[in-house]
Amino acid sequence: MKIEERASTHVYRQRQMFTKEELEARERLCVHEQPAYCNAACPLKLDAKAMTAAIAAGDFDRALALYERITPFPHLLAEGCEAPCEQSCKLWALGEGISIRALERAALTWGTKSRGKSFLRKKPTAVGIFGGDLLTLFLAGELVKKRYSVHIYCSQPDAQALVEACVPEASPSAKAATAKALADMDAEFSWNADPVLAYSREERQLKAASFAVAQALFPDLAVEEVLMVSRPHNLITGKTRGVLDAAFGAKKAALSIDRMAQKLDPANTRGEEGAVETRLYTSLEGIAPSERIPVSDKASAMAEAKRCIQCHCEECIRGCAYLQHYQKFPRILTREIYNNVSIIMGDHMMNKPINACALCGQCGVLCPNGYDMGEVCRIARENMVFTGKMPLAPHEFALMDMLFSNQEAFLARPQPGFNRCRYVFFPGCQAAAIAPATVRAAYLDLCTRLPGGVALMLGCCGAICHWAGRYELHSQTKAFLKEALAQLGDPIIIAGCPTCKKELADLPGVTVLGVWEILERLGLPQTRRPDPRPVALHDACGARGDGETQASIRRIAQALGCQVADTPYSGDQAPCCGYGGLTQYTNREVARKMTDKCLERSDLPYLSYCMACRDRFAREGRESMHLLELVYGTSADHCPDISAKRYNRLGLKQQLLKELWKEDTQTVDLGFTIAYTPEAEALMDDRMILKSDVIQVFEHLRQTGEAICDGETGLYITRARQGNVTFWVKYRETDAGYQVISAYSHRMKVVNRQ
Amino acid sequence: MADKNYYTIDPEGKLTCLKCRCKLQKGKAKFLYLDNGFPVELPVCPQCGFVYVPEELALGKVLAVEKALEDK
Ligand SMILES: [Zn+2]
Repeated sequence: MKIEERASTHVYRQRQMFTKEELEARERLCVHEQPAYCNAACPLKLDAKAMTAAIAAGDFDRALALYERITPFPHLLAEGCEAPCEQSCKLWALGEGISIRALERAALTWGTKSRGKSFLRKKPTAVGIFGGDLLTLFLAGELVKKRYSVHIYCSQPDAQALVEACVPEASPSAKAATAKALADMDAEFSWNADPVLAYSREERQLKAASFAVAQALFPDLAVEEVLMVSRPHNLITGKTRGVLDAAFGAKKAALSIDRMAQKLDPANTRGEEGAVETRLYTSLEGIAPSERIPVSDKASAMAEAKRCIQCHCEECIRGCAYLQHYQKFPRILTREIYNNVSIIMGDHMMNKPINACALCGQCGVLCPNGYDMGEVCRIARENMVFTGKMPLAPHEFALMDMLFSNQEAFLARPQPGFNRCRYVFFPGCQAAAIAPATVRAAYLDLCTRLPGGVALMLGCCGAICHWAGRYELHSQTKAFLKEALAQLGDPIIIAGCPTCKKELADLPGVTVLGVWEILERLGLPQTRRPDPRPVALHDACGARGDGETQASIRRIAQALGCQVADTPYSGDQAPCCGYGGLTQYTNREVARKMTDKCLERSDLPYLSYCMACRDRFAREGRESMHLLELVYGTSADHCPDISAKRYNRLGLKQQLLKELWKEDTQTVDLGFTIAYTPEAEALMDDRMILKSDVIQVFEHLRQTGEAICDGETGLYITRARQGNVTFWVKYRETDAGYQVISAYSHRMKVVNRQ
Repeated sequence: MADKNYYTIDPEGKLTCLKCRCKLQKGKAKFLYLDNGFPVELPVCPQCGFVYVPEELALGKVLAVEKALEDK
């Protein structure tokens, strides 16, 4: 098994991450950008959500601008609209929906119209409008907005009379405001005209390019209602029912006129018109029912608007520190990752987000449509590995650590006295690294109490290379484990870690149980250390979708006397501690935010059943316990550094070999000692430099004598290249060897060019 | 890293090669990474050719260039 650095930044292969169809199918699952229910219901496409937000903020001018955008005669509409937006308000499910019409009227009352002039040039196309009804009235307004040259012929003597004829039922103030708006319009009016006569004259002379007629003038014309067009003469007309229908009819008619003005069939490529279906999801959790507030002044309008919950879906981002960090929703993130993976040359800005996801699957559970961003990131990683665009640097330490687990620290033995065993205990690499005494106690207990023999396998399940997208290494690791299991006689695996359980279950023909299931079957051992305190139980992301494991853990915790407190986002919704997906290695800032996200759920001590979770919580200063520590009355190491985590794994292997299999491990005597200042140890942990790296640097020094002395500090400095990294060590000489003062590394190779 | 003078060599004679017992001098070196090369000037032993990469350089400019190249 070898881990290789990408060869070049100039040469790579190409492969698409998804087909276009797959990409679109995934993107469709994210409903974040779907319209709010009120907006979707409006055939005129009023952004009621934004208008309400503006009023809630006291910005009546903006609210008015949003409202006026949809209609030339807002006073008529605000009064006569049937308001399908109000009926579709999500708040009806709890109490009363928002009074959107009252807010529209509030915008008209307290908003000031902006004096901005239209930037559109007046179109030379002339449109003749003959006779007054609601449709032709609204159409005239729509066309003037679109800057057509509009000529209105009607029998009425003036604007007021025309409005009166079109909407006799409207209030005097709405009529007055509409008449004023009409009179102020940039249009030509022929008052006191005979519209039928005017039409026949105009049509003969063909002065206007389009004609619209009041329905009463030619009541028998057949009209295509989608277009508001009567064929074959392409005459705009139609019967409408009420103010909203007329306003919508006018929009359809105006679009038909646009198309005809371009000599196109009005029926083709019209785009999306009218009300739409929305696929939005909005959770009402935590929202109190409320009633409508009568709007009588600015303050009450603002209060009513503030009841609006501004419907949107953010189920995934609310639970996930990663999505919060990048401030992007899965649809956008997927598109950007897809593009990032597709580009050939240049900067790959999304590499960091691709490698920062914990791949934990929480979003897939939280999303009403199951959008799993982790799956997208993992596919992207595999794609980058395949195409040669994946840098090794972010994952190298973790991958080398996995090789350490499965080579130097690997152990697979049948229980002493058995040739073949019924079971094999697989505690997981992090358990051996963080809590070797607990692993030892668990193994001895299982050997004593389980019939049929229990083999031991110390190693890594392959999750690390799976997460890193190193698919070749992953299949090699699976084959390696499969072979090691075969040599033990293919026993039933007892996994100590839920992620191992999940990974190992993928091996062909294996049976995997969690150690918790065995403990429930056997009963808790005498060594147990009951802890009758309230604790916050943190579910491992490896156990997502594994309700049986989650339930089993709770029963054991209860048997230990723990009072398990409920936390938000537990069970299948649990967030990742920051170790998953290798985030801990690739992006410490995001990993830390993930840990904080886990810990913000409760102030209690945390009880977990994954050793990585246990360790990360302890590092953040929280009292943290692994279930097995309570079961066996042992304690994990307190925040071991990266070298101690290796030493623990190797030490456990050597200890058990000696204790159970009576084998002594040859320890190599270096022939010199290395001491570390506490500062150097902390710094090395931070810089991911292992003590074994430092040993190799000194061995190189002793072979070559290559070092320099810094006259200013009196320190010696030496270095050695190991694999893809050059390690530098600053040291002092001691009687028996060296004292390390500092260490650092770089990946670039440096050569002399004298 | 086209700029060769990003690292100012410390006062003459501060660094000594332990093997050759002579002072390091400003010399020509080259950084190589992922099929890219950058000429630089660094303290070099005139006899054995030991090239010194100071800590602040490794953790500063070198790291920044590494990261930029990794995402190319
Ligand atoms: Zn030298």
